Formats: sequence, C-alpha cells, structure tokens
Amino acid sequence: MAAAIETKGLTKDYRSPLKEPGLWGGVKSLFDRKYKDTRAVDGVSFSIEEGELVGFLGANGAGKTTTLKMLSGLLTPTSGAATALGHVPWKREPAFQRSISLVMGQRSQLWWEIPAYETFRLNQAIYGLSDADFKKHLDELVDLLELGEHLSVPVKKLSLGQRMRCELAAALLHRPRLLLLDEPTIGLDVVMQKNVREFIKAYNKRSGATIMLTSHNMTDVVALCRRVIVIEKGRLLYDGALDRLVERYADHKILRARFTTDVEPGDLKGLGVVVKYEERCVTLEVPRAKIAASAAALLRSYPVADLNVEEVAIDDIVRRLFTHA
Amino acid sequence: MPGPKGPGVTIIHKYWRIWLRTASMAMQAQLTYRLGSFGFLLGKMISLFFFFAFMAAVFQHVETVAGYSLVETALFFMTFNLVDMTAQILFRGVYGARRTVSEGDFDFYLVQPCSPLFRMTCSTVDFLDIVTIIPVIVMTGMVFARLPTLGWLNYAAYGLLMLNGVGLIYAIHILVAALAVRTQELESAIWIYRDIMFMGKFPVDVYAPAVRWALTIGIPIAVMTTFPAKALLGRLSPFWIVYALALTAVALPLSWHFWKNSVARYTSSSS
Amino acid sequence: MKKYRVAYQIALQETLQRRSTLIMDRLGGFAVVVSLYSFWTALIGDKATFLGYTRAEMLTYVLALNILRSFVFTGRGWQLVGEISSGRISSYLIRPLSYHGYALALDLAQKTIHVAASFFEVSLLAVCVRGELFLPRDPATWLLFSVAVLLSSLLFFFLEFMVSSLAFWTSESGGPLFCFELFLQFAAGAFFPLDVLPLGLRRALEATPFPYMVYFPVRIFLEKVPPFEAMGMLGMEALWLMAVFTAAMMIWRRGVRSYAAEGG
Repeated sequence: MAAAIETKGLTKDYRSPLKEPGLWGGVKSLFDRKYKDTRAVDGVSFSIEEGELVGFLGANGAGKTTTLKMLSGLLTPTSGAATALGHVPWKREPAFQRSISLVMGQRSQLWWEIPAYETFRLNQAIYGLSDADFKKHLDELVDLLELGEHLSVPVKKLSLGQRMRCELAAALLHRPRLLLLDEPTIGLDVVMQKNVREFIKAYNKRSGATIMLTSHNMTDVVALCRRVIVIEKGRLLYDGALDRLVERYADHKILRARFTTDVEPGDLKGLGVVVKYEERCVTLEVPRAKIAASAAALLRSYPVADLNVEEVAIDDIVRRLFTHA
Repeated sequence: MPGPKGPGVTIIHKYWRIWLRTASMAMQAQLTYRLGSFGFLLGKMISLFFFFAFMAAVFQHVETVAGYSLVETALFFMTFNLVDMTAQILFRGVYGARRTVSEGDFDFYLVQPCSPLFRMTCSTVDFLDIVTIIPVIVMTGMVFARLPTLGWLNYAAYGLLMLNGVGLIYAIHILVAALAVRTQELESAIWIYRDIMFMGKFPVDVYAPAVRWALTIGIPIAVMTTFPAKALLGRLSPFWIVYALALTAVALPLSWHFWKNSVARYTSSSS
Repeated sequence: MKKYRVAYQIALQETLQRRSTLIMDRLGGFAVVVSLYSFWTALIGDKATFLGYTRAEMLTYVLALNILRSFVFTGRGWQLVGEISSGRISSYLIRPLSYHGYALALDLAQKTIHVAASFFEVSLLAVCVRGELFLPRDPATWLLFSVAVLLSSLLFFFLEFMVSSLAFWTSESGGPLFCFELFLQFAAGAFFPLDVLPLGLRRALEATPFPYMVYFPVRIFLEKVPPFEAMGMLGMEALWLMAVFTAAMMIWRRGVRSYAAEGG
C-alpha cells in the first residue's frame, strides 16, 4: 500500500530583510535593502503510513513547523518533492484539502465574537457537507469533546480549554484522513494538555486517520507517539521508534538518592558521574550496564532514605542529539 | 462533486453560500459592537453629507465647473459613490489583509478548499456599507430624474462601464491583497488607493491635461468613476469605451497572476 | 528630558525603516492636494478672484494645506486606542515617564519626517504648476503663522487624545475616533476654505475650536486679517488649547483610574 505521506529532499529557504541599527542605518535602509537567506528545512525525507501517529521533535525554529506547513499545502518548498494522500500538497487541490485538516496551537479559525456553531456552519459550506452529514459528525464530536452548551456562547466568552475543544471540533467536522497539529498543547495547563492528548489518541484509534504533530513539549510526544522524527537546524536527525531513541542516545540512566545524613559527593565517584548534590540529595549518571551494581552499592554502603532509577529525560537526549549533530 | 447542472454551477452555488454565511457572521459579529458601528456609520454619513453640502455651496458661487452644471457634477459624484461603495461592500476584506496574514487566518484560508483570494477579499462584509448605499441609490435616482431624456444606449453604456469600474477596482484590490501576502510592509497600500480615489470624486476634466492623462492611463481612476457618467451624458467616444473594457480585461488576469505568484512565495508568519 | 529625546530618535528611525509605508502615505496626501488644487483652479476659471481669493492665494492655500496637514493632523490617537485595548499601556503607566510626553516625542518624530516630505512635494508642485505664490513680506506674519501652527498641532493632538481616551471605557472607540477625525477635517477647512459655506454655518463652526487648526492659520498667512485681529485669534486658540488640555488630562486621569481598577 502506498504510504500516506512521502517526502524526498524537502527544502525551504527564507529571505528576510536586514535592519541596521541607528539613525543612519534607518536612512540607509530607505535606499539600499540587504537581505539574509535562511534555510529552514534542508533535504528532509521520510515516509509515513496511513493511520500512524507521528511526532516531530525539535527546538524552536528547527524547521518542524515549516515541514508541517509544506505538507498541508500552506508553503511551497524551494526544492524537493512530497506526496500526501496521493496528492502534491502545494497544488492545493480541493480533493486533497477536503481530506486534511490543520490545527495550530495559539491560532484559531473560530470567529471571536460569535458562537463556535457559526464557524462550524461556515466550514460545512466550505467542505460541502450535506445537512445530514454535518449533523451526524457534529453530534459525534459534541459527544466526544463534551461541547454541550459551549456551542451557542460567543467564543470570546469561553475558557481556553473550551475554546481548544471547539477548535478541534471545527477541524474534524469533515472527517479528515490526515490531521496536522502544530503545537496543539502550547499555552494550555497540565490538565487540559492531558485531555487534548487523550482525545488525539482516541481519535487516531477510532478513525484510523494519520496524525502528525509537532511539539517541543516532551510529554506530548512521549504519551502519544511511538514514532518520532527529530529535526534540528532543518535537517532530519532521527526517524524511528521513540524508545529506541532513548536507548540509542542515552547510554546511561539516572540514579537519584536521598540520604539521612550528609555525604561527601567525592566519595560517590566510583559509582557514576555526580551531576548534582544538594541538601543530602544526589543525582548520578550511571552507565546502563552498571546500574544494578551501583544501586546495590549505594544501598549497602550509604545511609539511603530514598532511591530512584530513571531514564534520561527526553529533553536531555534531544539536547545531546543537537550538540552531536 | 458536479451536480445535475454541471460543475460550474455547483461552484457558483457553493461560493454564494459561503458569501452569505460570512456576510451573516460578519453582521452578527458587528452587532456586538454597537458604539463602534454607530461611530463608523455616522462618520460615513457625515462624509457624504459634507461633500454634498460642499458641492451645493460651490454652485452658489459658480454656474459651471469645467463645463459641467450642478446636476451633471452631482451625477459624477453619485456615480463615484455607487462604484466606490459597491467595491467596499464586495472587497472590504482587503483593508484587513495584513492583519489576516499576521494573525494566521490566511494560513487557514490556504489549507481549506475555498479560494483564499475570495476569503481574503469578501470575508468581512460590512452591513453598514449595505445600509449606506441605499440613500446613495436614492439620491442617484433623484439626480437621474433631473437629467434630460437620454437614449437607452446611454443607460446601457452607463451600466456596463459601472460594472467595468468595479472589475477594475477588483484588480487593484487583488494587487493589494497579493502585496499583503508577499511582504510584511506595504500594509498601507490600500490606503493610498483610497487617497487616490479621492481624486475620482471630481469629474476628471477639472484636472490639468497631464493629470487627466495620468488618471486615465496611469492609475485609471477616470475609467472607474468618470467614464460611466460621461458615457451616460453622451460625451464619451466609443474608442474610450473599448479602452475601458480592454483595460479591465488585461488588468484582471495580470493581478490574478501576481496573486498566484505571491501565494507561491508565501512565508507563513508563525515559527 | 533625555528619555524623550531618545524616544524621538527611535521613532524617527522606525518611520524611516518602514519606507514603503512612508512613500505610500506621502503619495496619497499628494494626490489629495493635486485634486484640490485642480478643482479650485477649475472653479476660479477665468475670473480674477473666487470667494475673495486670487489665483496666487488659492495656490498658496492648497500648498499650505499640504504642509499643515502633515504637521497638524498627525497624532497618536489610533496608537493610544490600540495600546489601551491591548493592555500594552500598563507597561507605560508604571514607568517613570509621562505618557503624554512620550507620545508627543513620538508624534514629533512623525511630524518631522512628514513635514520634510511635505516641503519637498510642495516645492515640486509649485514648480510644476509654475504658478505664482503668495509669500508674505511682513516678518510679523511669519511669526504669527508659526505660533498659530504650533498651537494648532497641540490642539489637534490633545483633542484626538481626548477622544481616544474613550478606549478606557469601551473597546469600540475606533468608531467615534473615525467619525471625529472625518468631521474635524471638514470643519477645520482642511478640504475647502470655509468661505464656501453659507454664513450661518460658518459662524456656527467658528464658535468651535476646529477652524483654528487650519482655516485661521492659513488666513493669517495670506494676510487676510490685520495683525491685531490675528493676535486676537491666537489668543482665542490658546484659550481653546488650555480648555482642551485640561479636559484631556481630566479624562485621562479618570480613565487610568478606572482602567487600573479593573485590573487592566
């Protein structure tokens, strides 16, 4: 079966004007403009099957949002090729557009002063949904997202969480086969983030829609995606299973211990690298192979009150990836 | 999905529905701003009233202006208003083009199966404009009543050139929308259009020949606003009528092409 | 004082940066001036005078209008409305900076550039038209005119400020501000000399501060009023300015208080 999404050497360059500081610079800029060229995405290639839930990881400005936007047809690449659902995205064919949806955290397609229901009806007209289909899809989404009376209240009077749920409903009314989410949980509190994540997961299972999301919130990616694509400075650094990312790039684990009396951190050097020692709590980096031995040694020889073994945080892994690249 | 009448009709039907929806939504949104709407409405009416009063006052002192009587000058002014206000009703979205782009709405327009140009230009119909055009139509009717009897051909030419004027104005709005998409600057391109349109309030004949040429060939305000009235009064040669139509026939595809090009180079504003 | 000077410089740079906006603004204004001039010339036709203005005086009126528009009719009203409604103004209120002083500095920067451009355009137009200009020979006229222009720009600034302060109480102050600016332009004689209007209407307008912004200063420049009367006008204008200034400040204080009370 052909992949849902396939990209080959996708590249996007930007050109931005340079502004010189100072008054003289201001006058000069009236007559002579200089530009700066940036390569936001550099030869990115990957392939995604239908129904997958893939996460794009990367620092701000790494190029993940740009890639997503090219796949939605929003931006035209400088070079390279891609197909999504059998179409070239930036050709913006109506058949393609009717089967995708884009959700951008912090940006809303809902009209501010009037109820979300009105925007839904607008989308009905845009996507050409029959009244029957519209009602059916809407009822389902109202149920799933618990929208209830939120639909008839002006959007500006809704809370952030309610607005996000309406936003998701607006994006899914036409049952897209491909859902692109750009930082969907940004600005939301922890509870709301969890709700959005659970909804996305459930939706992916129910509808079999292919979902791609970008986030620099590790919790999102860890909770949702089995597969991640890491992008840094426009280049694809890693494409594969999330747990293998942890294994491959973290050759050690974290050992945290709390002592009942003060301990000299220098003494612990034999067990691993002391990352931090503060108020009787130590954080050690221990190679994977030695973790059991180090933990046992700690318990044997020191007054341990509490002990924890953790995987290296994904943030740290990604950070290391970036510095290796 | 082509309907029984064919794909073309379905598309028109679809866009008509979308236009009605956005117009209704815009009206609802606007009704939540009562003070602001009232202020704008009042401002528009004041502007109309003052200009009319000014015209009337001027004619207390002179018989003709550049060879046109009061009724004829009024005709020019009312024609200008009709064309200008129709364009306002239909293409108002372009005035907020920069904001549409910077707030990310344009991104949605590009991803959804509806012409982004259509969404951009027609998305913020101001029903106040529809309200204010009614007295203008009435006043134009009053001016018509005071004109000598004219042949149906004159009226046909008038109607045709008015439509042509709106088409030409659309070409300019497409150009401005394309600029908003293309660059973060030039946000005020539409305002210069409004300032230059100011020149269209007067019959072009008042301007010195050099200016008149600029307004006919360069930035064709004359074509948009003066030509229809002149044709009605029988003072426009067929050559100029053909010129007017040809101009729009060329301008529209050109600006459309520029629009497509600008969208291809679009760089979305978020990171 | 230094902080205002710095604000001035920064604003100056910023305006120069947005060069296309600047060019657009000037072109638009130029178009308006050309149409007004053409219209008046058409009106005057072959006659020697029209409404008591000779050809030279007419041309001077229109050109002076261009300069005055760029000096008097720039304000910070729309920016104020934006800053209040977005909440950005809070950051200014807590700084050891007078918002008015700051706004004035920014406005002055705008004015500097626009007036410079305006002089250029006006010279261009005068040369193209090859018309006679009326330039007063009496130095007192120039002095009186300069004072008038200074007062006018402050008057407009604070009037607009007053109307924009409505934004403290409602999010819809854009409408009234728009209405106000439009009405102002007509009433100030910025489109046409108020002599065109019938006497009754003219007298009514002369009781308001509006004609002081453009109409009276230009009349002073064209020496249509004897110096003594001119000084009387300036005195009246100064009184209006004080009244408007006081009202603007009062409304501002009330506004800030109610704004802060709501928690921004």
